Amino acid sequence: MAGHDSGTQHTFTGIQRYFNSYTITGRRNCVLATYASITMIILYFKLRPKKQTPALTEK
Amino acid sequence: MNLTIFDQFLSPQILGLPLMTLAIILSSMVWPSQNNRWLNNRLSTLQSWFISTITKQLMMPINKPGHQWSTILMSLIILLLTINLLGLLPYTFTPTTQLSMNMALAIPLWLATVLTGLRNQTTKSLGHLLPEGTPAPLIPTLIIIETISLLIRPLALGVRLTANLTAGHLLIQLISTTIIILLPTAPMLSMLTSIILLLLTLLELAVALIQAYVFVLLLSLYLQENV
Repeated sequence: MAGHDSGTQHTFTGIQRYFNSYTITGRRNCVLATYASITMIILYFKLRPKKQTPALTEK
Repeated sequence: MNLTIFDQFLSPQILGLPLMTLAIILSSMVWPSQNNRWLNNRLSTLQSWFISTITKQLMMPINKPGHQWSTILMSLIILLLTINLLGLLPYTFTPTTQLSMNMALAIPLWLATVLTGLRNQTTKSLGHLLPEGTPAPLIPTLIIIETISLLIRPLALGVRLTANLTAGHLLIQLISTTIIILLPTAPMLSMLTSIILLLLTLLELAVALIQAYVFVLLLSLYLQENV
């Protein structure tokens, strides 16, 4: 397979040092960040307070 | 009692007692057991040669820690080969036509390869979910796609085996029913259809062998990625 880690040829600075698609650790961090974001979105929609509609009274 | 074409796939039972376990165990009993003789008879020698050839061929691409899996993978291929081949005999039940059995084989073994990878080389296993050199905007999409393709592997393994064997058995039954029905009215057509049945049976023989091999080969490939 041609998927060897060629991260030694790239020099990353800033956030790209941790999140890139070339080094194995960069790829791992991208995967973990994606999973964490999806989990946060699901948790947000599950745990947000539901709007309470006022009770209807007959006139 | 009128039989439908799907009745051959009914799980066997006698007076309400399921015979599925017996169907699986008895299939493996056709193989002679190994003994401790220095020189075995021809059948045992042939069996040993066969098993060691397949073991070498399957386990060569896998590194040394993965060789612990050789026993279970060889047992699996022998079991599937035997079950598939015995199922081609008339009036026999083929356990591998049951999706439940194939999923029971595929899911735990696939899960074991994934957990082995996550345990022994966490970074590498997680990193493989993102292909190298992916452009930045595509990263989240590709990660989701790769995760889905990872999760669909056991489903594909089980359904592939089930569908191939079920379809083959159904075709054999349909064509042989056609031959019987056509025999009094159109004997020439019936004979031509029997040639098709012969070719189909040969094809099903090949499919039985190939599907067992493919099941175990794919598992060994998943293991190779993770060990």
